[in-house]
Amino acid sequence: MAKTIFEWDYSDYPGAKSYPHLFKPIQIGNIIVPNRIKYTATEENLNGLDGFVTDQGVAYLRERAKGVVGGLCFMQGVYMDEARMGQGYVGQAAAWDDKFVPGLKRLAEAIHDGRAVAGIQLMDCGRVGAVDVEYGHGPSAVPQRLRIFREMREMSKDDIKEMIQQHVDAAKRGVEAGFDVMEISGIVGYLVSNFISSYTNRRADEYGGDIRGRMQAVVELIQGVRAVIPDDMPLGIRLCSEELLDDVRGNTPEESMESYKIAEEAGADYISCTLGWQESIYPVISRDIPMGNWIHLAKRAKEHVSIPISMAYRLFKPELPNEKIAAGELDIWEMCRPMIADPLMPKKVLEGREEEIRHCVACNLCLARLFRDAPMTCYINPICAHEANPEFADPPPAEEEKEIMIVGAGPAGLECAYVAAQRGHEVHVYDKRQEIGGTLNEARNAPYGDDELWTCVEYQKVMCEKAGVQFHLGTEVTEDLIEDEMPDSVVLATGPLYSKPEVSGADSDKVVYLLDVMAGKAETGERVVVWGNRKPGIGCALHLAKQGKKVTLVGRDKTAGFDVNPSFKWRYMIYMRQNGIVAYNDCEIVEVSDEGVVVETYDGYRWPISCDTIVIADRAPNENLKNAVQSEGIELFVVGDALIPRNLSSAVHDGYRIGMRI
Amino acid sequence: MPVDAEKEITRLWKALHSAQDEIGKTYYRWRQVAIEFAGDDVKPMDVALRAAEVFGKDIGKSILPRMNWLKGEEGFMMILARALAGLWINDGGNANVEQGESPGEIFIKCTRDPWPTWAKEFGVPMEEVAVCREKMYQSILEDVSVFMNIPLGIELQKAISRGQGETVMRLYKAE
Repeated sequence: MAKTIFEWDYSDYPGAKSYPHLFKPIQIGNIIVPNRIKYTATEENLNGLDGFVTDQGVAYLRERAKGVVGGLCFMQGVYMDEARMGQGYVGQAAAWDDKFVPGLKRLAEAIHDGRAVAGIQLMDCGRVGAVDVEYGHGPSAVPQRLRIFREMREMSKDDIKEMIQQHVDAAKRGVEAGFDVMEISGIVGYLVSNFISSYTNRRADEYGGDIRGRMQAVVELIQGVRAVIPDDMPLGIRLCSEELLDDVRGNTPEESMESYKIAEEAGADYISCTLGWQESIYPVISRDIPMGNWIHLAKRAKEHVSIPISMAYRLFKPELPNEKIAAGELDIWEMCRPMIADPLMPKKVLEGREEEIRHCVACNLCLARLFRDAPMTCYINPICAHEANPEFADPPPAEEEKEIMIVGAGPAGLECAYVAAQRGHEVHVYDKRQEIGGTLNEARNAPYGDDELWTCVEYQKVMCEKAGVQFHLGTEVTEDLIEDEMPDSVVLATGPLYSKPEVSGADSDKVVYLLDVMAGKAETGERVVVWGNRKPGIGCALHLAKQGKKVTLVGRDKTAGFDVNPSFKWRYMIYMRQNGIVAYNDCEIVEVSDEGVVVETYDGYRWPISCDTIVIADRAPNENLKNAVQSEGIELFVVGDALIPRNLSSAVHDGYRIGMRI
Repeated sequence: MPVDAEKEITRLWKALHSAQDEIGKTYYRWRQVAIEFAGDDVKPMDVALRAAEVFGKDIGKSILPRMNWLKGEEGFMMILARALAGLWINDGGNANVEQGESPGEIFIKCTRDPWPTWAKEFGVPMEEVAVCREKMYQSILEDVSVFMNIPLGIELQKAISRGQGETVMRLYKAE
């Protein structure tokens, strides 16, 4: 009879009524999981460089365990070899020795404290591994496509046997640590997927050849692990349903489905359906990919195997997974990025508090940081990776309750407002606009998914309302108003100033401002120069190019999108090329005339660009009101772009940090 | 047929940058070869410093035809300093010269240097970039000093590759 680890009764919860299929149980192997929610194994680089679990890592996972409200919660994938060829991330947890068991036990207990089902994942990073050693290992020594990864050495048959044994030994440690579910990672370029893929497995022995041959090591792995874990411990595997490696002769979709069938035959109790590789040229989880874009792959998987199928990949909201589970096209709603942004996301769904969800904006900053050996943080969640710090995670009440004036109802001001109000301050937010959101009102009009950025403001609005923040919209803050109100503190969140180049002709009628263009209040001609090559300029350039304009981007930064995280920036570069946008970086505009502009490079070369309109996207800090506040002796803070023009993430993080400290 | 100035110039500009990029990459590829041939008993820094010496000697010989005494000692030193700054500019950097407080002293300041970026791509220590620049310039001056019969010295005071924001070389007349 199947085992139930924790009993949960969802019947009284509004979310269970709205999304009944998400909150019904499922049998996986020999256990019953109370719901269809899974927080999937996520590398966060919060463990020690020696592979030991840290307080930060435990605190991070503890929050996610609360969030799954009884569902599956996985710790990150562990590497299993002392030589560290399988280690893909500097802060990846290790399981190659019994000394790591106490730490793993802490993680299992943290998950159980949340009354969730604890999962551990075995992850030899293969081609993406060897983060800190000279070379990695794989089925064949295929050169790396991406220079940041190490050279590969071909594994001998003894090496393969040893690797399988390492998985088996690590599995035993996972059992000893108290985990309930075991999972093998076979995705995105990690070792298991390297064996399965025709791109990276060129072997002629029994571990290579056709798909059955390439799956042989995986079969032995599954069977080896299966043999050492209890009968009531399900064993799952994450496998690519589509590698998206057609350009390098990777697996066909048919071969991928064959791998699913073989995994089921070998003894897997469930499959987590994934797609893409780090080396793939196709984006998978960035914001430019519409939500739900890949869900059909779960359905296809269901047509090939009988064991449960789970899937993540741009499934950020509950409606679609609920619908697909009802239709029999999916069994478990997996999440990674959404629960980085909001660890309690499924809990809020269950409790009918969806408006309080801080949605992931699919920027992939979390990934960018991992690949640059940094602890993971979240673009939109300031608390992420700081869960162990009580000051951050749960800011204490203010020692002295103050009346706080926040000037600007954009993301920086709103974030500061609700955090400060939650701590007991009386908070008044002023904005000369009639609506909240600041410059995000215009920014969300940029193409390729930027409308999703608005979810940040929607969340902040709800939090402000719940915290009792008072809004004064359509009110411009002046020196007189400050003098009249005399608040205890002022937070300037006024956004940036858009600065024209200080050159002859810059006062021409053909010069317009980005915000007016994005709001549809300023017309542009057919040929446009956008001055300022950071994200706002790129968004504006794409917005105009989509309207059929011939757009040239000119800016001081050495590369366009200097402020965009590398895991997303490449998408913009491709879209700029596709839309015919020419970018001149490391350049200044030195003259504006009736014909257009003259551009000068950092090394002194000049040329003319013909254009009808110049859009100013270059920003400067906003010093307005600083003197007025300081002259009154009022405590002053400046946040967001008003301090230094950066991005939405900086605005949110600035706002949070000031709100928790003021 | 009208010439599209933007198109023509930017083609040239991009070609120039590609060519400049190859300068650094070629140098560091050869460095790798040299280190492999030198073997494990030789320190890479010693190989690099020897290379800087050889480069400097050759560049020094090519500078000699441009030396002009007719502008006087200070004029000659300024021509020399500009030539040294020009080495950076050729590679894609930004450099200029500034007269020092004393007549026999000129500062060559580089505010944009492509060499640290190339070095990083090949895993070369940043300190090597700094000391090799100094060594190269000292080697350039050996023949120039003898040729003009003026003892010249050059010293590295700051380096971008040391995180100091700019590279400053002090060219001086050694008493």
